[in-house]
This record gives sequence, C-alpha cells and structure tokens, in this order.
Amino acid sequence: MKILRLEYLKLRKKTRSWLGPILVFWLIMLAYPLTVEFLQDKLEIGFFSVLWIAILISMMLATEDIFIEDYNDGSLEQIMIKNSSFQFLVSMRIVIYWLMIGVPISGLSFFFSLGTTEEIFLSLSIFPLALISSYIFLNLFVLGNALSLNKGSLLGALVTMPLALPVLIVLGKSVISIQLGINFLEFILLLLGCLSIIMIIVPVIVSYIIKAHLE
Amino acid sequence: MIKKFIHQFASPKTYLFQVNRFYPYIFYISLIIYTFSLIWGLLFTPQDFVQGNSFRIIYLHVPASFLSQSLYVAMAFASITYLVWRVKLAAYLIIAIAPVGAMTTFVALISGSLWGIPTWGTWWQWDARITSTLILFIMYLGLISLHNSFSNYEKADKLLSWLVIVGAVNIPIIKKSVDWWSTLHQSASITLTDKPSIDPSMFYPLIGSIIGFFGLIICLVLISSKHQILIREKTKSWIKDYV
Amino acid sequence: MFSFAFNSFEEAIYMNGHGIYVWIVFSIVISCLAAFFISYKNKIQKIKKKLNESN
Repeated sequence: MKILRLEYLKLRKKTRSWLGPILVFWLIMLAYPLTVEFLQDKLEIGFFSVLWIAILISMMLATEDIFIEDYNDGSLEQIMIKNSSFQFLVSMRIVIYWLMIGVPISGLSFFFSLGTTEEIFLSLSIFPLALISSYIFLNLFVLGNALSLNKGSLLGALVTMPLALPVLIVLGKSVISIQLGINFLEFILLLLGCLSIIMIIVPVIVSYIIKAHLE
Repeated sequence: MIKKFIHQFASPKTYLFQVNRFYPYIFYISLIIYTFSLIWGLLFTPQDFVQGNSFRIIYLHVPASFLSQSLYVAMAFASITYLVWRVKLAAYLIIAIAPVGAMTTFVALISGSLWGIPTWGTWWQWDARITSTLILFIMYLGLISLHNSFSNYEKADKLLSWLVIVGAVNIPIIKKSVDWWSTLHQSASITLTDKPSIDPSMFYPLIGSIIGFFGLIICLVLISSKHQILIREKTKSWIKDYV
Repeated sequence: MFSFAFNSFEEAIYMNGHGIYVWIVFSIVISCLAAFFISYKNKIQKIKKKLNESN
C-alpha cells in the first residue's frame, strides 16, 4: 500500500503525464466526427475502430516517460538496489498509471459510445472492454519503453505495437459480437485471460530489461 | 550437463571452423534439390483443376512462409539459450537470423499477394493469416532496429533476446489463424499428423522445394552468423590467425 | 509424373495468362536469395580484408 501511495503521489505531481494522454484521447474522439463531413448519420460505422486506436495511442503516450526520469537522475538504480522485488514496484506503477489514465479513458469511452450509438447496453459493454484493453496496452508499451529506455519512446512503440495488433483484432470481433448478440462474454474472458498472463509476465520481464540497462 | 555440452561445442571458434567445413556440402546439395524441385513443380506437374497454372506459386510461397515462422522459433530458442546459459554464439545467431527472417517473410507476403490476384481476385485482404504475417514482418524490422540502436553489443543482445521471447506469442497466432478466424486463406495442405490433401504429383516437388529452400536459408544463416562472429570477435587473437 | 505439362516453351512462359504472376514471384525469390548471398559474401570479404590490413 505504501508503494502504491508513493507511486500515486509521484504521478499526481506530473500533471502533464496523466492529463496529457486523457486530453489527446478526448481530442481524437472529438476530431473523428469532424473528418466524416457528409456521413454524420453514419458515424457509428467507423466509431469503434477510432475508439480502440485512440485508446492505443493514448496508452502509448501515457508510458512515454514512465522510467526515463528515474533512469536519468539515478533513482532507478537506487530503487533496484534497495528494493528486493523490483517487479512488484513496476506492477504497482502500471496499476497507478492505469487507475489515473486508463480508467478515466474507459469512462470517456462509455460516454462517447453512448453519444454516438445511443445504445445503453452496447456502451455499457464497451466500458469493460476499454478497461481491459487499456491495461493490456499499458503493459505492452511499458515493455517497449523499458526496451528503448534511453533511445526514445518511438523505438519502444515500434517494437511493441505489433504485439498490440492481435488485441485490436479481438476488440473488433468483440464489438461485432455485441452488435449481433453472440459470444460477447467469451471475448471478455479471452481478453481477461490474456491480461492475467500479461500483468504477471510483463513486470518480471521489464525488471530484467531495466537491470540489463543498468549493468 | 547441457551447459557443459553447449559451452564445449558452441564456442565461436569451433562453430566457425565447423561452418567452413560443412557449408559447401549443404549449399550445393540444397541448391541441386531446390533447382530440381522448382523445375519439376513449375514445368512438369499437371495444372490444378480449380486454380489452373497459378497454383505453381505454391512451390515458391509455401517454403518461404514455412521458413518465416520457423526462423522466428529458432530465434526464440537461441534467445532462451542466451539468457539462461549466457552462450555468446546464441546471441550472434539471433541477430544473424533476423534479416534472413525478414527477407523470407517479405517473400512470403509478396508471393502470397501475387498469388491472390488470379485466385482470390484481390492482391491484399485484411484477414487473420495475412495480417499476422505482416505483423511478423514488422516484428523482424523492429528487432533489427532495436539491435542497431545500441552501440553496446551485450546490452543489445539481452534486450533483443527478451523482445524475441515476448514476440514469439505471434507464432501460434499465425499458425492457427486460418482455423480460428474465417479467412480467404486456405488451411494447411501438409500437416505432421494427417495425410496430405494434395495429389502426390504435386506433393513431392513441394516437399523438395521446402527442403531445398530450407537448406539454402540454413546456408544464409551460416554466412550471416559468420559475418557476426567476424565483427564481434575481431579483437580476439584466434580471429587474426583465422583470417 | 515427369511429362512436360505444356505443349511448347511459349505456353510454359504464358501459362494461360498466369505466367506473369508465377514468373514474377520466381524472379523475386531468386533475386532475394542471390542478393543476400552476394551481400554477405561481400561483407565477409571486406571484414577479412580490414583484419588482414590491421594485422
């Protein structure tokens, strides 16, 4: 709990880091209706694709400076020496980032979905999908940022973005299944299964990768 | 015991000498098999009842597609070997395989696209198999750029190994994509457990082209790894004697 | 099993209109393989030359 609180206070101080991705998400979703011009009544067709990509991009931006400041000022090295379970710290940091960025974005997804489709059940089903997918994307981009720690987040995004694409495929299929009223829960379970593996494995791998950077 | 075995037989010096010894045999045998199978497949097999002569692309597409996934699996094994037993040669092999893997994936994508024009009526379809193969191609490029962005080879090797292991999750997705999703791409014609679904007159040259292409790609990996050893071990005294 | 599948050489090239796809793929595969072999051979030669000069 102490680590969680500390990580929360650290992120809360960096307003740009948590507010920026939320605003970018908001802007992308607002820009979508402006780009379709004559197809205002058919916004629903491309809405979900834009939504998932907006979540993906926001999560990519959210993790941009997740380790770099600590790495540059040497505190990452100190944390690693002091803290016996560095992977636990990494997972707590991801949880805080998700709570402060992923959860608000998922909430916004619900409202944008409701505004576009005007279907309460569909929008309520989008909310858990957004929660799970934002956590998965966050983990993947944390991995990417750990790999390209001092080489810029672009390289990290390049190497981990391909891993996020299968998740996008599943999300697309989930929306279709909700719209057709079939197998929706199975897709949620599939994503939860992936998430449960990712949320255990990624912090462990990230801690090894950061160790390799510091050696 | 495994550790002792690996360290004894996987020293760059021993490996380099073994490569020089076996390379010509593998190269010429593979070249003969590949050339023979291609001539057989492209000119001597009867045309397909449904696809006509365009089916002959199978002799070029299937070996490349098979190798593109196999090379990634090989990289994943090399990565585990490097991270667990710290075998330097495994690290050299990972970065030696990556460009060759990218090339075979590129060939698989291009040949698949060109095959799609006469058979599917489109050169590209955003279906599971093709998209996941494209992801594999981007993965290979990502791995190469990650390795190239670090001047410290040891650090680059470690990071690359971790990424290769994580990225291996894409391989079963590609393999099973034709079964898991409804797709234009046909299911596998050859499996280890079932009887092949194609006629023997088309099947034998296909097996030949896969074996021949496999041999040639092994040769490419061997010279690519030789290149890596020469770069990375250039300060060692044995390299000077070798050159 | 080894009978020529076409009536003439021209027919083997044309392949009822499919020849263009088959032969383009063939040339891409062969040129990719050749390019990789040649480039690695050249790279190895260059390194060997450099190492020889430094010796």
